[in-house]
Amino acid sequence: MSLKKQDDYDHSAWIKSKDLSPVETVFLTTLVWLDKRLRIVDYLELLETLYYRSNMQMPKSHTEQYDLDNKFWYWYPLYTLGSFSTIAYVVAAVSGALLGFYYSPSTAAGACNISNASVAYCSIAGIMRDLQFGFMLRSIHRWSAQVMVAAVFLHMLRVYFTGAYKEPRELNWLIGIVLISLTMVFGYTGYLLPWDQLAFWAGQIGVEMSLSIPLAGEWVAQLLFGGFTLSQATLQRMYIIHVFLLPFVVTTLIAIHIGIVWVQGIAEPH
Amino acid sequence: MTDQSSVDADPDPESTGAGGRDVVVPLRLYKTIVVFSTLIAVVSVVLGFTLLDAATLQVSLVRGLVAGALSAVGLAPAEGALSAALAAAGLSTIALGAGVYTLGTRFRTAGMGNAEDGRSDTSE
Ligand code: HEM
Repeated sequence: MSLKKQDDYDHSAWIKSKDLSPVETVFLTTLVWLDKRLRIVDYLELLETLYYRSNMQMPKSHTEQYDLDNKFWYWYPLYTLGSFSTIAYVVAAVSGALLGFYYSPSTAAGACNISNASVAYCSIAGIMRDLQFGFMLRSIHRWSAQVMVAAVFLHMLRVYFTGAYKEPRELNWLIGIVLISLTMVFGYTGYLLPWDQLAFWAGQIGVEMSLSIPLAGEWVAQLLFGGFTLSQATLQRMYIIHVFLLPFVVTTLIAIHIGIVWVQGIAEPH
Repeated sequence: MTDQSSVDADPDPESTGAGGRDVVVPLRLYKTIVVFSTLIAVVSVVLGFTLLDAATLQVSLVRGLVAGALSAVGLAPAEGALSAALAAAGLSTIALGAGVYTLGTRFRTAGMGNAEDGRSDTSE
């Protein structure tokens, strides 16, 4: 910003010289009025200058060299989806750890005066009704989980449609496949934890899907669900997968995934 | 940063092309339009949904504040009337935001639009 009066930016005069409709004149006059008082644009221009000054010190990227920005710029916001997935994951982890202080994975009955409710269901009802900010805590956990699934999927689309999976990034694509799968396992195991009707019948579907696998089916059902019918063993396995196994595996994989992006650099458009 | 050649706006005439009215403005004015119309649109939409929330949710903070302010001046509107007023205010705020944003899209600066050649349209 310089102090000298910049005549070519005399917008009021410019507006008068143009043949504008009344709505347009009011629109522009209002915005110019705002602009003179809240000098946001000046500060943004300052940032822009700063950005280009510091970037001038760096070697030209492929994108700059071949002047691809004008065709490609609208993809750039979607490059934040990987970070967005990570943030959603961290939020889920922190809120989940707090929920863990109050949740108990037991199918035993009679812990509260809701008829037929298990200890697991009662502990969640307690979080929702009695715990300060408990409703909010559980909502944050559920919403961040939903957002993570959506963000991961959209991140995958962005990687696919910008061709970022190509050589030499095949490994990161494969790790990504594992990550999106494990994200869904996170969702499934978490969904079973309240041990309400939705959870129970989703679990039933899971057991039956496992049993339908040729040859290995019974073994898979035993391993994941602790038997062929739903029981305490099922809930306990879902719990350990959700709060112990997956957090270690997924955190490690995300670290490797982002580490590889760090080492290889972000893929440039071609 | 845009190169200087595109900064100086020729005295372009405005035109009513196939895509609706189209007004060419100087770059600095274009920035003002983009920044402020987007800002107004975003704020209006958030505000509008807050009002809709207040219209439909009895425990809403905004609803509480509005009801409190009204009772402070001696008014006690029926719940239904308050909901209707808040809903109308919310919808019109959202519409205002959409309108401001849409209005902003008819302006462009030299070198924009008509992907083949930003300048050719001035000769028409
Ligand atoms: C938990 C899930 C995931 C997290 C937290 C995550 C995180 C990230 C982050 C932060 C980046 C840096 C670039 C960007 O943000 O766009 C990235 C890049 C990448 N991701 Fe993911 N990602 C996940 C899932 C996936 C999936 C499902 C795929 C594909 C199947 C995938 C494939 C890739 C590839 C190939 C890159 C390199 C892209 C490039 O260099 O431009 N990721 N990931």
